[in-house]
Order: sequence, then structure tokens, then C-alpha cells
Amino acid sequence: MSPQLTLQTPLQLPPAEIPTYLEQLWSHDERGDKGANTFCLIVWQPAWIEQKLVKNGKISGPILGNQRNDLIEAAREIILKGDLPNSTSPLDFRVQSSIQVEELIENIEDLRGQHIDTSISNLQPRRLITIAPTIDKENNLETLVAAYCPLPEESGGKTACGDVIVLRGNKAAINDGLEIVENLVPEELPSWLWWNGRIDEAPEFLNALSLPNRRLIIDTSLGEPIICLNLLLQRIQSGQAVNDLNWLRLRGWRETLAMVFDPLQRRNALDNLQKIDIDIEGSQTVQGLLLAAWIADRLNWKLESRISSKKDQLKVNFLRPDKILVQVGITSLPIGKPSINPGQIVGLRLIAKANNKQKSDICVILASESGECMRLEAGGMARMELIEQVVPIQKNSLENDVARLLSSSRGNTSPLLESATPIAKEMLDLVNQAK
Amino acid sequence: MSMPVTNPLRIGLRQERVVPPQCLVIFGASGDLTHRKLVPALFELFKQRRLPSEFAVLGCARRPWTDEIFKEKMEKALSSQIKESPKEWELFSQNLFYEPVDLQQPEHLVKLGERLEIIDKLRATHGHRTFYLSVSPKFYGSGCRALAAAGLLKDPKRSRVVIEKPFGRDFNSAQSLNSLVQGCAQESQIFRIDHYLGKETVQNILVLRFANTIFEPIWNRNYISSVQITSSETVGVEDRAGYYESSGALRDMVQNHLTQMLALTAMEPPGHFDPEAIRNEKAKVLQAVKLANEEKPWECCVRGQYSKGGSDEDPLLGYRDEPGVNPNSTTETYVAMKLFIDNWRWQGVPFYVRTGKRLAKRLSEVVLTFREAPVHLFDAAGGCPTSNQLILRIQPNEGAEFSFDVKSPGSGMRSRPVNMEFSYDESFGEPSDEGYVRLLADAMLGDPTLFTRSDEVEAAWRLYTPLLEKIEDSPWELPIFPYESRTWGPTESDLLIGKDQLLWRRP
Repeated sequence: MSPQLTLQTPLQLPPAEIPTYLEQLWSHDERGDKGANTFCLIVWQPAWIEQKLVKNGKISGPILGNQRNDLIEAAREIILKGDLPNSTSPLDFRVQSSIQVEELIENIEDLRGQHIDTSISNLQPRRLITIAPTIDKENNLETLVAAYCPLPEESGGKTACGDVIVLRGNKAAINDGLEIVENLVPEELPSWLWWNGRIDEAPEFLNALSLPNRRLIIDTSLGEPIICLNLLLQRIQSGQAVNDLNWLRLRGWRETLAMVFDPLQRRNALDNLQKIDIDIEGSQTVQGLLLAAWIADRLNWKLESRISSKKDQLKVNFLRPDKILVQVGITSLPIGKPSINPGQIVGLRLIAKANNKQKSDICVILASESGECMRLEAGGMARMELIEQVVPIQKNSLENDVARLLSSSRGNTSPLLESATPIAKEMLDLVNQAK
Repeated sequence: MSMPVTNPLRIGLRQERVVPPQCLVIFGASGDLTHRKLVPALFELFKQRRLPSEFAVLGCARRPWTDEIFKEKMEKALSSQIKESPKEWELFSQNLFYEPVDLQQPEHLVKLGERLEIIDKLRATHGHRTFYLSVSPKFYGSGCRALAAAGLLKDPKRSRVVIEKPFGRDFNSAQSLNSLVQGCAQESQIFRIDHYLGKETVQNILVLRFANTIFEPIWNRNYISSVQITSSETVGVEDRAGYYESSGALRDMVQNHLTQMLALTAMEPPGHFDPEAIRNEKAKVLQAVKLANEEKPWECCVRGQYSKGGSDEDPLLGYRDEPGVNPNSTTETYVAMKLFIDNWRWQGVPFYVRTGKRLAKRLSEVVLTFREAPVHLFDAAGGCPTSNQLILRIQPNEGAEFSFDVKSPGSGMRSRPVNMEFSYDESFGEPSDEGYVRLLADAMLGDPTLFTRSDEVEAAWRLYTPLLEKIEDSPWELPIFPYESRTWGPTESDLLIGKDQLLWRRP
């Protein structure tokens, strides 16, 4: 499905005139339609890497704000040619810093906020407000507005129209523009903020936009792990509805692992787990921590002590309800061609020791479809009952994942994420104490 | 350490859809269904975090209760569930409200509208309302009219009506009720509930058929020789004599639940998983169903009524001796019939449906019997060759089994049937939700897939109405055969299927 453009060329208006213009726009509708009765989505859309690559002529314009293939390929090339480790994700902030800004191409068309992915437009958002900061220091605030009507799906769904607003400019300009954002959010509808950037890149804007009653979509794979987990925990504890795309991408691992223990005869092995190894791509540990924390929470383990904390590996001990220690390790692997998102899990191994109910040791290995985790199969398992499963790579686009959240988790933080986050944070704190 | 019943890693993993901001208005809130099914289902949804924070339940009935009394009543009725999760109940019960309403009094509806406005502001439900008519069927039409007159159904995007069974008593009354209800609201706002469709295993018929390539090619007259659909209960009429006397097994079970199971079993594959595409196929197949002998319905339908039974220690009353039942009642508590489906897929394949109270076992199942092998090369250990059967168990022990012949051990080449089994309990690490949990959530989400559309309801009534008329006009042609309580129904029902050299399955 191809993304949709707005039906009309967006009008550039002074910020103060936008509310009046929007009021007029809807009052002229002959059917008396006041637009979709759905939700308002605010998107922080910096697209820093794309802006730099387009302006440098590495990829062609316009700037769209999505994860297009040529952008990913260009970023990978920069990683290979530059000083960055091969396991660096193409969305890593270091990629942005290593793009040499030489001769910049001027007058690039910037379609951020006007280019709506079908998975989102199918949900018929009432209002899309895109905040598009620019890398150019000179850009003053530009505000654009347009109406749009999603095209009906093949199945013949009904359409309801909405409008898009774009605030574009440099940091100072965006700061000035933030004032009008709140006036543009319809009070009677639920509102979401999708922070489509690093969590630690503009805390003042993130704070200003993510009001407590607003549903927040973040990606904890983008940013310093401790800052990501701090924000996640703080927002969850404050009662805000938080949705983490990094957590969402874990669903294949959670589902496959649960499936391994669905048969009754294997259920007992969950009580006898003694060792867990998680392999991740690169050094962003949040996804690995969240997976370990989810298992620990589900099985009622308590964090006990740190075993080791090296550059590419962290190890901690948990205490099972029967007071037996479980060793949990997260290892960063140097992957040749890592996923788009930093720190994704590639392998998981669980070992359960035999007891009177379970005749032999059990080793469960889950491997990502990428096949990078053969390491986990090495040595010492000949006498164990081996259960191996492949976890399919989620092929959903970022917009698809966001659409999934918008349509399915209205106003709620996942209870599993809510329980896992404090444990993940506690693990990271424990490891960081050694540094 | 004991083996956990539920897989701890499975808990909370389902990607369930969350209900949008909503006020659920239950008419008949002082009745049985509200505290036995509806509020427990809502509490379950709340515990699963599938209700938004902007949510309210407004109970309505004629009794002059207050919010507090309603909460107390529900708390008492749900005490065992609350014991397990008291904190959750404390939070959930803050969403419970009550308004005394008589649907026949227009001024009550005005007051109801005002109360809903207040709740909208209080709970931020944005005018999204689902009206659940858990009232006597005679008030379905007038209830909808009253809601429409009060302007409570005017926004088709934000308001819906859920209507319980039975939807009509025959074809004409169902058609009139449909036109009355459709005069008050658009079809997309009307959700006719059949709680059988909320059962995981009933929905599994669709998945089994259309997600696997091995079944669909043989799911037709070329390979299937007959289909049996059974829903049997061990209980009698209990405290529903008043309703049951005017309804009987045909109206209470066959016209809705069994016919829906038949539709899912026999329908053509929909183009895509879309509510209208599925309901189109169901309606089409129902329009093609007919009694095996429309001229002489007594040849293809057997009615029965349970008589006393049980043991000396635990005697069971006959239907006519039950409190509230006419001692000369001719209401059937058992019905078995043979149907045909007039289409390419099913031409000539008999569909046998049966249901009854006080039968030997409580079960619901669909049994597909395949044609025998054209040539019998081997001796059958049981004396005669057996046909392959696919059994879809709806309840209890939800799952499926497939029986096929294998070589019996030994030097000869004798065949005998064995079973290959799948059980929901053993294969999945968590229990299924009760039907009302799924259906209430779907209604509030505006997803009509598991609700019956007007043409489906009318097609089902059109099929059985000639039979109902015959029973009313010349009951001697379709007499009531008594059967002993806790047996498999009257002998005449065995004769009905025996005419085709078949037997009812007796699991």
C-alpha cells in the first residue's frame, strides 16, 4: 500500500490564523460533517539522518520522514566506510554525526507531515500535527495546513475526513510554535504523541508535548539505555499511557517462548530455570533488559546481585521463589548487517535443570530468523533435551507498528510492560554501579 | 512445586483490542443475565485491561435502586470473583451507575438522556453508548422505539443496540421486529447476540476450515456423507418454565445456536475476513437449507419430552411435573431433524441436528462423517469398516478429533479405527474467555462479525416456520414422544437417522 498525500496543497498560514481557518474549513462542509470522530496524533518527526542525506545528495528528495529503503542503504554505506563498528544500526545517532556536511543542496522539498502512511490514514485520524525540526539554523517557523480524506479500502470501508498541520523550522522556531499546538488539539478527542526520534534528543520538547493525559508512543531502542528506561518508568509511574515500539517488537519472542511452555508436560521446567543468555545486536541493551525483566516478573524472581559488567556483556543473578539462583546474561554481538532498530535480540537460551518431576535438563534455544545466534548452541548440551524454535523477524513497517498501537491500546499501558520496566531499570542500575 | 494450570509466560500476551470510550447501558439490570453473565464479563474485561479509563456501566430497570444499591447487588452476586481480585473490583465498581427506567414511560427516557450527558462529562465517554436490551423479548421493539424517540440512537457512529435472543417467534414476527428495529436505527447499529458465536470452538470452525489447506478440498458432497450437529444438556427446565413453555427446544436452541453452527460448518469461504463478507456467506447458505421432506415434516423431524428418571436416591421429575409447567404440556424438550442444503457443495448430504434437555451428557459438537473407502481391502477388527470422522467438540473438553483406520497389530491385515486428538486445554497455556466476554467487547468495538444480521435471522426462521405452523395447526402430525430423563432421547429419533443406515454419535 502506498502512502497518501493530502488532497490539496497545504496552505502556508501564520500560526495565529490556523484555528480560524480550520473552523471555516469544516463549517463549509455541505453534509455538516465535522470530521472524523477518532483521535488526534502529534508526531515529533526530526528525520535528522534523512535530512542530512538528502541535503548532501546521498539520497534523492523530497524529505518524507519515513524509513525508506534508499535511506537505510545509504546509512549502511556510511557505517561501512566510516569509523563506526559494523554492528551499528543504520538509525544510530552516530550515523548522523558521521555524515559529512559539505556542499548542501538548497531548496529541497520537505513533505514531512503531508505524506501519510496508509496504515495510519486507514484509522482516520481527526488531526495530524507534525512537528518537523530542520537542520538548517536559518529556518524560521512555517505552519502549513490541509484537509485530507483517506481513500476507502478495497473492502469498501466508510471514510471520514481530517486535517493535517505541519510546524516546521529550526529549534528556536519550533519552540515558539509549541504554544499553538495545545490550542489545535481537539479537547473532546483522545490525543497521542508519537515521539519519532531519540528519547534524549530534545527533552524540553518531549516534556512540553507529552502532557499527562496524552498517550505516548516512544521507542526505547533510540537513546541512552538509562535515559530511555528512566523516562519509561517515570511516565508509567505517573499513570500516563505509554507505548514502547521496542517492547512491541519483542512480541514475537514473548509469543514463541510462551508457546514452548504451553504443553503441560513442559510447564514444570519453568520452575527449574537456572540460566538465561540473551544475545543482542550492538550495544543498546534496553530490549534485552526488557525481555529478561518480563521473564523474571512472570516467574516471580527477585533481583539478587551483579555477577559481572563488561563492555559487551552484563550478568546478574535473580532469586527464584524456591531461593535458587538464576544467572541471567545479556551479550552484545558484533553483527555484520544489523537490523534497522538498535539492540534487537537475536538469540535466547534458557536452561532448566532436572529434578524429580523433570527427568533430564532442558535447553530451550530461540533464534532470530537472521540466524546470527548459533553461538548459543555451542557445547555441553548433548545430554539435554533440546527445544529449538525460530522467531520470525517482524516485517512490519514503523508506521504499521504505530497504527497497531493507535488502534489497539487505547489509553492503556501494557500491564506486562508496566511490570517489567522497574525490573529492567533495577538491572541496569545494578550493573551501572560497577562503572 | 505443583504444576501451574496456566502458563505464566502466556498471561497477558494476547493482543486484544481495547474498547473505545464507552457507556454501556443495560436495560433489565435487575435481572438474572446482568449479574450472572454481563457484569462478570465486564469485570473480566476490566481485569484484562481491555476497558478504557473512559468507561461506565449504567444499569437501568424499573426497580427504584440507587447507584449504591446496584453496586451492592453486583458485589454480592460476584463475591467469589471479587475475593480473588478485591482491588480490581474496587476500581471497577467506580464505573457502575444505576438509573430507574421504565422503557414505556417517555419521561423516563428523557431523564435517562440527561443522566447519560452527566456520565459523558464525568467519565469522558464522548457520547459513545451501547444499549443492551436484556429485557423480555416482547419489549425489544418498543424498547428500540423508545430509545429512538428520545434521540438516543440518532448518531450511527456513537450508538448501538444489542438485542438478546429470541429475535422473533417465527418468520413473520422476526420480519416485523427487523423492520421495526431498522426503522429506529441503521443495521450497522444493531447487534443481535447469539452467545454460541462467542465460544472459541465455534469460531474455530472458521479457522480450521479456512486456515488449513487439508480440509477445504474434501469439505463437500464428494467426500462427506453426513453431518451431525448436537447440543445436549443434562439439566431440565429449572426455573425457566414460564419462558420455555412458550418456546420449546426448536425456538430456544435450533433456530439460533444449532443453525449458526450449521451455517459456519456449511458456508462457502469468504473473500476476506470481513464482517459483511462472512455474514453474506452465512446468509447465503442459510437461504439454501431446507427440511429433508417439506411436504411431510413428520418424516424428518422428531419431537420429544423428558419424563421422569434418575435413581431412587436421586429421582428426576418429568417435564410435565416441573413447577410452572402445564401438566398437559405439548412443548418439546427434545428435537431431532434432518435437513438438506440445496447447493453444489452439499447437494444430497444429510445434516442431522438434535438438541434436548435431560439427555445423557452435556455436550455440543459437530461431527462430519466421510464416505467409506470405495473398496474394502482389509478385514475390519470391529466386524464392519468404519468411516473417517472429524469431530469438532464445542463443549466440554473443547477441541477436535479425527478418527481413521490403522493396521491392527498382529500377523493379519485387519484394520481398526484410532483417534487423533487436539484439546484446547492441553495445547494452549491459558483458558478461553467466556462467550459474553468476547461478544460484549465486540459489540462495544462495533465489530459485528459474531452477531447475526437481519437476513440471517429471517432465513433461519423461514426454514423452521412451516414446521412451527404444523406443530400449532395439526400437532398430531408431529407428536411428542416421551423419553426417560438422562437418556439420549426418544427411540423415534434413532429411527429417523436409522432410515439412512446411520447412528447418532453417543460419546
